[in-house]
Amino acid sequence: MEAIAKAAEWFIGLFQKGGSVFASLVVGIVPLLIVLMTFVNALITLIGPEKIEGVGKAAAKEGLLYYPVRYVILPFLAVFFLTNPMAYTMGRFLPEKYKPAFYDAAVSYVHPPLGIFPHINPGEIFVWAGIATGVEQAGYNIAELAIRYLLIGLVVILLRGIVTERITAVMWKRKEA
Amino acid sequence: MKALTKFLETVGRGVGKVVGAMYQAGRDTIDQVVTNILPFMAFIAMIIGIILGTGVGDWIANTLSPLASSLVGLIVLSLIIGLPVLSPLLGPGAVIAQIIGTLLGTQFANGSIPAQWALPALFAINPQVGCDFIPVGLALGEAEPETVEVGVPAVLFSRFVTGPISVVLAWLASFGLYS
Repeated sequence: MEAIAKAAEWFIGLFQKGGSVFASLVVGIVPLLIVLMTFVNALITLIGPEKIEGVGKAAAKEGLLYYPVRYVILPFLAVFFLTNPMAYTMGRFLPEKYKPAFYDAAVSYVHPPLGIFPHINPGEIFVWAGIATGVEQAGYNIAELAIRYLLIGLVVILLRGIVTERITAVMWKRKEA
Repeated sequence: MKALTKFLETVGRGVGKVVGAMYQAGRDTIDQVVTNILPFMAFIAMIIGIILGTGVGDWIANTLSPLASSLVGLIVLSLIIGLPVLSPLLGPGAVIAQIIGTLLGTQFANGSIPAQWALPALFAINPQVGCDFIPVGLALGEAEPETVEVGVPAVLFSRFVTGPISVVLAWLASFGLYS
């Protein structure tokens, strides 16, 4: 009898632990998230997401100068205003040969801004928050981590855009040959 | 008098638009929280609870922590996750990235992994981002079927290269952070 009681206690203990984790997540993350997301969502509606279409047209141009437009500015604006997954519709302004690279850049930027702009991809917040809450519990301020994640993300998507554009070009040639 | 009515009407309309947008934004946000965020938090909390309660956490601390507290370890992690065969399988809903991130988070919390590895770790758990979604993402951009045929392998191969590079970039960028 005592053994059963012990086992039951251990079993419940697992979920008591989980419950306290849940409570700390809801109290620690959700209130800020709700207010911040409401603000940004309202801002986007008032600005009008269709305003970024001009950038989409500019990004289609050839030349070295347009790499950052195509793989940094356009993905950032698309992800910020249209969020995941509608951001990828901005690819329609680009020629076919740039579309895979643009998708690669845009989709790689749905997580790096989550520390500051969680509205971009709230369903996947734990890609950021999993590590960030751990770092916070260790007693560090995570604002600087959030900023660096956001900025390095921009460098990484530029690189991904360029590399994927090259690979696409090579594969296209091989396919036609 | 006519000018005044006109003015009041403009103001009223403007205020109505702003308030309406804010109210709708609140509604959308609560919707997101209830349908996406809270369920995932419940799931994550259950997993962490079981991990901490059963002692699996100690085992993870012993195997995952050494891997996550060195540059080579994180590059190896990103190479595995970025394998062109594996990455589309690991992609959906970013569930794997979120679980690994949360597991690593528990190790950051108790100090098994020093905090200065947080930035490269954020990139190491995520080379597969969107790899499950390439055909759909390209279709949203109105790509031709031919582009999808070339684009899917192009992105997958690119990730295998850019995944580890992103870890190195993040490592370089984390100098002076938490140390």
